[in-house]
Amino acid sequence: MIDFWEVVKRSETGEKIHEEEFNRRVGRVSAEVIKKYSIKYNPEEVVCADDALADRLFDAAVDFFLQTGVYCTSTGRVMKFSKNELFDSLESAVDQIVWGEGRDQKIQKARKVEDPRPVFSNYTLVGNPYSEATFLQAAMSVAKEPLADCFSAGSLLHTLGGVEVRSGSPMEVEAAIWDIGKRREAARRVGHPGKGMYTMVSAAEHADAMIAAARPEFGALPRDAMLCGAVAEMKVDYDRMKKVPFLLRTTYTIGGLYGPLMGGYAGGPEGTSMVLVAHHFLGRLVFQTEYSCCFPIEIHETCNTTRRMLWLVSTSHQALSRNTHLLHFSNAFIAAGPCTEFAAYELINFGITSAVSGADLSPSAVARNKMPERATGMEGRICTEAAHAATRMGMTRKQANEIVKKILPKYEKDISKAPIGKTISECYNMETVEPTKEYLDLYEKVKKEVGSYGLKYPFFAR
Amino acid sequence: MGDDFKQMKEQVQAGEAEKLKELIKKALASKVAPMEIIEKALRPAMEEVGQKFETLEIFLPEMIMAADAMAAGVEILRPLLAAAGGEKKVGRVVLGTVSGDVHRIGKDIVRIMLEGAGFDVTDAGHDVPDDTFLAKVKELKPDILGLSALMTTTMQNIPRVIEALKAEGLRGKVKVIVGGAPVLSDWAKQIGSDGYGENAVQAVSVSKKLVG
Repeated sequence: MIDFWEVVKRSETGEKIHEEEFNRRVGRVSAEVIKKYSIKYNPEEVVCADDALADRLFDAAVDFFLQTGVYCTSTGRVMKFSKNELFDSLESAVDQIVWGEGRDQKIQKARKVEDPRPVFSNYTLVGNPYSEATFLQAAMSVAKEPLADCFSAGSLLHTLGGVEVRSGSPMEVEAAIWDIGKRREAARRVGHPGKGMYTMVSAAEHADAMIAAARPEFGALPRDAMLCGAVAEMKVDYDRMKKVPFLLRTTYTIGGLYGPLMGGYAGGPEGTSMVLVAHHFLGRLVFQTEYSCCFPIEIHETCNTTRRMLWLVSTSHQALSRNTHLLHFSNAFIAAGPCTEFAAYELINFGITSAVSGADLSPSAVARNKMPERATGMEGRICTEAAHAATRMGMTRKQANEIVKKILPKYEKDISKAPIGKTISECYNMETVEPTKEYLDLYEKVKKEVGSYGLKYPFFAR
Repeated sequence: MGDDFKQMKEQVQAGEAEKLKELIKKALASKVAPMEIIEKALRPAMEEVGQKFETLEIFLPEMIMAADAMAAGVEILRPLLAAAGGEKKVGRVVLGTVSGDVHRIGKDIVRIMLEGAGFDVTDAGHDVPDDTFLAKVKELKPDILGLSALMTTTMQNIPRVIEALKAEGLRGKVKVIVGGAPVLSDWAKQIGSDGYGENAVQAVSVSKKLVG
């Protein structure tokens, strides 16, 4: 495995080019390799069942990565890696992670395509903004979910103790410490004190804030994780890279965070799927990641549940599962908000697609990840239960494709005007932190409907 | 001439800079006015590109190639336009991502589409200190200042820039438009901005209204 200091050296000595030129290079090489490896989006095969295509996609990502390298925006230089270095990094990656401790301890193992083993699920509210008053209940709503193998929370909205939380200010450090404390308190309050944290604080914080918060006395367990993100397609910066020397000297788990934009610099679904695979190479070599959080999103709709996005999710995770033993979470971004049938359809489609494609799950960013206090544990439940149902049935990709295509017409044409749904206070009892009858009834109705399409829910008649 | 303009539009949309330049040279030799080429071929071509990008018939690389082709065409016209009193721009815009925020793709797309629509755009970059925005407004006297943020912790820096404009006596001299993933329409009104774009297409239409 390449030494981190060699990576830093390359960020200071690699080819110097303007960022705009690197963007053009990404677009140009992406188009070239997509053509060379005959990667073609098929709107009728939303859940792709073409093994050869998945393998060609992986080969295209290798070719692309070796040609473009990784751009360091802090130095304006391109870090290049050899094929040997790349495959060495993939070979030396872990194929399992132990999350949490005590009776809450869970082991995540690398999954294969059409793997009958259940998905490992991280319940999260991603970056949905929450006020100080409701942050704890929101975190409890995910931590208490029975199928949440590990958990995360949302982002703090604007103020803490009446003081604005601004990026780069001392309040950012204060908020990060408050954030991890509340997450751990949430886990304790729901009787899962040892539940693993997928990311100890919101990934939006600067490195100094994240490092300051990652302490046992604030709530961190030894194997809790921290995410290191690419700042844009195939780009990193020193603020993200600063976390690495810290993490390598701790027991914390290192995660990679990749959200290429479909329609952005890598082009359409084919190029963006390929670039998402290539980001895993970036993560292994630059951040020494042990797992990844994949949230490709459609550039205008800020979600990944459209037909093209589900194809992208399906193919990228299959390429990874067929050609590596990496641990990769598929992070749902849905357009609609809580307590809507629209959201339930999106979540079920995403869960099924990810599960049969060999991914683990990380549901979910709700209401496009921007409408305040509109994300709860229930969305994680809806997505994960669909995924568990699919794996328990031993569902094939072809079967999944038929079900997903029956559900898609329920929402795809109206995605741009998806309902924002209800806030947590409107669809949860905030004292018991349980979903309202209205929300549970809505879910039951949707479950019955998708059951008629062939998805068999084997358990939890709530 | 209609066919020539049509061909120019096709070459812009195909990102074929060299072929576009040949067509422009041919048109100029036929005494077509440079501004007519811009207004009847290049800008409409980029408007169509923007519409196709909005519906994802094309993607960002194609839009960048089209913008590059248009820029190459304008480069030929520039000396002639200068001699005729300069290119008539729709308006002048300074834009950037606010302090603390390293995200730039949304801001970059807005820049490309504003340029294509005929605005004179100065991109102040990302993670831009408040003082830099103030200096650019003083120096360039833009019609519009565009402020973008992608995180809840950085969007707080948008109203700070607006307050700084007020403190410097500049607020009445420039319209402020805001955007970015966490920014909502109501919040944009609440902080006293003049316009909000949920996406790049809206940013262009709002900008046109503000200078119209």
